[in-house]
Amino acid sequence: MRCKGRSRPLTHWYGARPVNDDSPTPSRRRFLQGVLATALVAALPRRAEAFGEASRLSFALLRHGGRWDVRPEGLPRLSWEISRRTSIDTSPQVRPLGLADPELFHHPFAVLSSDQAVPMPSDAELAGLRRYLSYGGFLFIDDASATPQGPFEQSARALVAAALPGAQLKAIPRDHVLYKSFYLLSEPVGRAAVAPELFGIELGGRLAVVLCGNDLLGALARDPYGSWEFDATPGGEPQREHAIRLGVNLVMYSMCLDYKEDQVHIPFIMKRRRI
Amino acid sequence: MNGPAYNAWRLTALTNLPSYALGLIGLALLAALWLSTRGTVGEPSRGKRALLTTLRALACLLVFALVLEPGLELRAETRVRARIAMLLDTSKSMRFAAQPASSGSAQVSRMDALLRWFAAKQPELRELSSRFQIDLYGFDKEIEPQDAPKLLALNATTGAAHAQQLEQLAAGNATDLLSSLAAAAKSGSGGRPLAGLVIASDGADNASLAEGMNKKAQEQLQQLAAPVFALPIGATAIKDLALERVRVDDFAFVRSPVKIAVRLAARGFAHQMVPLTLKREGQVIAEQRVLIDEKVPFTEAELTFVPDRTGKFAFTVSVPVYDGEAIVENNAKSFVLNVIRDRVRVLQVVGRPSWDERFLRQLLKKDPNVDLISFFILRTPGDDSHSSQDELSLIPFPTNEIFQEQLRTFDLVIFQNFNHRPYRMSQYLDGIASYIREGGAFAMIGGDQSFGAGDYSGSPLEEILPVVLPAPGEPTIDEMPLQLQLGDAGKRHPITELLPGAAQNAALWAGLPKLPGLNTIAGLRANAQVLLQSSDGRPALVVGEAGQGRSMALLTDSSWMWSLVAAGEELGPRAYESFWHAAIRWLVRDPALTPMRLHAERAVYEPGEPIQLDAQVRGSDYGASAGAALSVQLFSGASGASAPFAGPIAGADGNATVQLPALPAGAYRAQVIARGANGQVAGTAEEAFVVAPSGAELEDVSPRPELLEALAKATGGARISESDSLTALPFHDPNRVEVGQRTTRPLWDTWLVLLALCLVVGSEWLLRRRWGYA
Repeated sequence: MRCKGRSRPLTHWYGARPVNDDSPTPSRRRFLQGVLATALVAALPRRAEAFGEASRLSFALLRHGGRWDVRPEGLPRLSWEISRRTSIDTSPQVRPLGLADPELFHHPFAVLSSDQAVPMPSDAELAGLRRYLSYGGFLFIDDASATPQGPFEQSARALVAAALPGAQLKAIPRDHVLYKSFYLLSEPVGRAAVAPELFGIELGGRLAVVLCGNDLLGALARDPYGSWEFDATPGGEPQREHAIRLGVNLVMYSMCLDYKEDQVHIPFIMKRRRI
Repeated sequence: MNGPAYNAWRLTALTNLPSYALGLIGLALLAALWLSTRGTVGEPSRGKRALLTTLRALACLLVFALVLEPGLELRAETRVRARIAMLLDTSKSMRFAAQPASSGSAQVSRMDALLRWFAAKQPELRELSSRFQIDLYGFDKEIEPQDAPKLLALNATTGAAHAQQLEQLAAGNATDLLSSLAAAAKSGSGGRPLAGLVIASDGADNASLAEGMNKKAQEQLQQLAAPVFALPIGATAIKDLALERVRVDDFAFVRSPVKIAVRLAARGFAHQMVPLTLKREGQVIAEQRVLIDEKVPFTEAELTFVPDRTGKFAFTVSVPVYDGEAIVENNAKSFVLNVIRDRVRVLQVVGRPSWDERFLRQLLKKDPNVDLISFFILRTPGDDSHSSQDELSLIPFPTNEIFQEQLRTFDLVIFQNFNHRPYRMSQYLDGIASYIREGGAFAMIGGDQSFGAGDYSGSPLEEILPVVLPAPGEPTIDEMPLQLQLGDAGKRHPITELLPGAAQNAALWAGLPKLPGLNTIAGLRANAQVLLQSSDGRPALVVGEAGQGRSMALLTDSSWMWSLVAAGEELGPRAYESFWHAAIRWLVRDPALTPMRLHAERAVYEPGEPIQLDAQVRGSDYGASAGAALSVQLFSGASGASAPFAGPIAGADGNATVQLPALPAGAYRAQVIARGANGQVAGTAEEAFVVAPSGAELEDVSPRPELLEALAKATGGARISESDSLTALPFHDPNRVEVGQRTTRPLWDTWLVLLALCLVVGSEWLLRRRWGYA
């Protein structure tokens, strides 16, 4: 199944959960959502043929000893938004995978999320994560608790430090290409706006780990009735839109790296920044 | 038997006593004399006192003379004649004409003119030899004694033998006036003093005086301590335009300006502009007008051009040959330039961001040898970014700039899952295909917007691809997963040779992660080679030649799995990196991956020397082409004209040696075409080389009478003309004698000395007694 090019079951857009989750309860509201989604997809350019799921962007959600799926609707929604807004071909399926699972290497974009502390993984799992990040994998850490220096952030920092000895999460400057990989952004926000900076670790000249303390996936999550699950505070819907854009930029950066720092883009971006 | 005839003498002491003993004895005698005078201090008569003192002094002198043992040395002396060193220029520049070509008279070489002068001066030399020893040398960068009768005999010969012997005589590869003069001054027979040096030369120095006289040279000339008299040969042939020096690096970078520094020597030319031209195989690639003036002996100029392709090329810099020029050979100079890439310039055009694009970009950006220009389609017209344009970092896709203006600046163009149709690129596809046929490189990477799915069926780009695309309407994607294996051609092709050893290499490929599917094709082009395929024979990687260019079809969008997924399977990403590095090198024709090679053992050959090229004949599948027939086409660097030559047959190992005949001076490019038994071309290779005289001797052969004059004046000598009499030259004539035989005769051991001593001592004793002294 894919977000672009093929018709697909509606639940994969609005009611999708990680594939090991239970299916949502059918309702009239969900049916209407499905009709709308089908119409939208039908309006998008169609591609007659495609390779399998392996060629599409599908997120890996890292399973850990704590609450690892606190925003089950966030990633499918991000997938849908990326498909709607960019040319990236996405899959709505989210793969819950363990850190030591070889299948993780088929999904170069992995997400670690929780609203509680993450238990320290085993050595084998840490070694797997280290290998994954060293050879090109990208890890997005989203603090669903939106509590700076809270239990989740502290445990996530410890986990990353154990996986990548010597590396340290550092604030990502606002002029980093991450803030202009698709949208021109000025600040990182999510459901909340409590953490003014993103933090990251660079490996081989690219960001391999990015930590967001504002519950980015919370801003994208919808309830089973199609409503936003959480309010975006304090900025409301504009803040939610900026959170969605940050999610798009994160994915775009992970797939294009520093493409927007190529010389040809610089005059355009500088001009628009001035505007 | 007559005794020796002594003609000189001198007094000498024959005693064997050391000097200090003689000194002590002398002091003792003086002391005795002083003491004796004290006994006569009271003598009132000054005459008596003086007489006694005189007699005592005489006695002391006689005693001292007896101690010295005086003798007479008889000598047979002869006067030593001073030496004149005569230096005759025997460098190669003396082969050139002494007179301008348009003078109407028969051409006389400088060597010929020199020998004629030498023969004409024989009476004067004979007369000089009565006063001086004359040492005759030939010189180029060093001196060599010459035999005058041989030179005179050579001057007397005529015809071809004469010309041949003159060439043998004038064979020096350099001219060093200063060192030759210094060597001639130091050597010579019998340590005779140097009366002077006579040098006959064209003055075409290419050593320490190449730039003219300088302070250091003047000091060295003054140390000769003898006058130099210089006879300029060919002094009247002063009209000449010469490319004295052409300086360029051995290699240059493609698409980067190359500067060629040229030094132009003009003699006998009025103030005028002359065109300076740089040609590559007859094609003018740079030109400049240079102002020359006879008041300025040397003019520096610079030619600049930008090489547009890599390879080894022969270039020729030239100026026109004007009427009356003394030498025409120095109006052109050739050189070989190896044009290489500083970085491979790659254009990566991507239809949509994907992991395949991301891993390739990451690899290429990390490679310091790659200059990557990327264009990714981040948003299609059907996408709704939910924002204004100013909130996006997107730029318009500059199709015209990339595919029309800049296309030929790229070494490699990659279309990665890119459909040209939405961007109205049909108008550029012809140009892209031409760029590839004319030596460019192209790779198409699969995906749901590529190959047949990218609307390339029937387009100009399909013609340069090594695969035939399915007709519109036919399936373009095959979603059946596949495990890769090497095709027959892939087993020896550098792109797929990731490990040494066929078995290990095949095992490596077979162990890589499965691919999710392939772009379908309808067939292969005639010259296509399938390097990778599925176990059921579906091609996955196909390469081929398109005109002079190369193309590659990678029929999957999942080669990134050979990196990260392989790393997850403990294989590491090395296969992915090695594959792409080799693919790029092959596509851009990295010389190290060229299947057929031609190699000249030297870049420069002497005129008249046979030329040998080693050919390693491989087909495009890198297999040895045993028995391939080679044909050679030789292109002139100056005119671009070509001439065919028969070539050898390649041996079992595919190697062959191409023999070319002796060629005149110039730049050349040899192209060897190997054909198999069926007459089909198995491979081609090229090599450039230059035929030019070695050494600096023939770089500037213009006579330099002014240098010879300055050199002579620095020593107190003078420039002379052919009519000047050698006997009238003011040579130094220091008076030095040589002692042939000598003998000594003692003067002290005769009775006369004893008698004189007795008389003096006796007289003193008698007078002393008579005058009442003790």
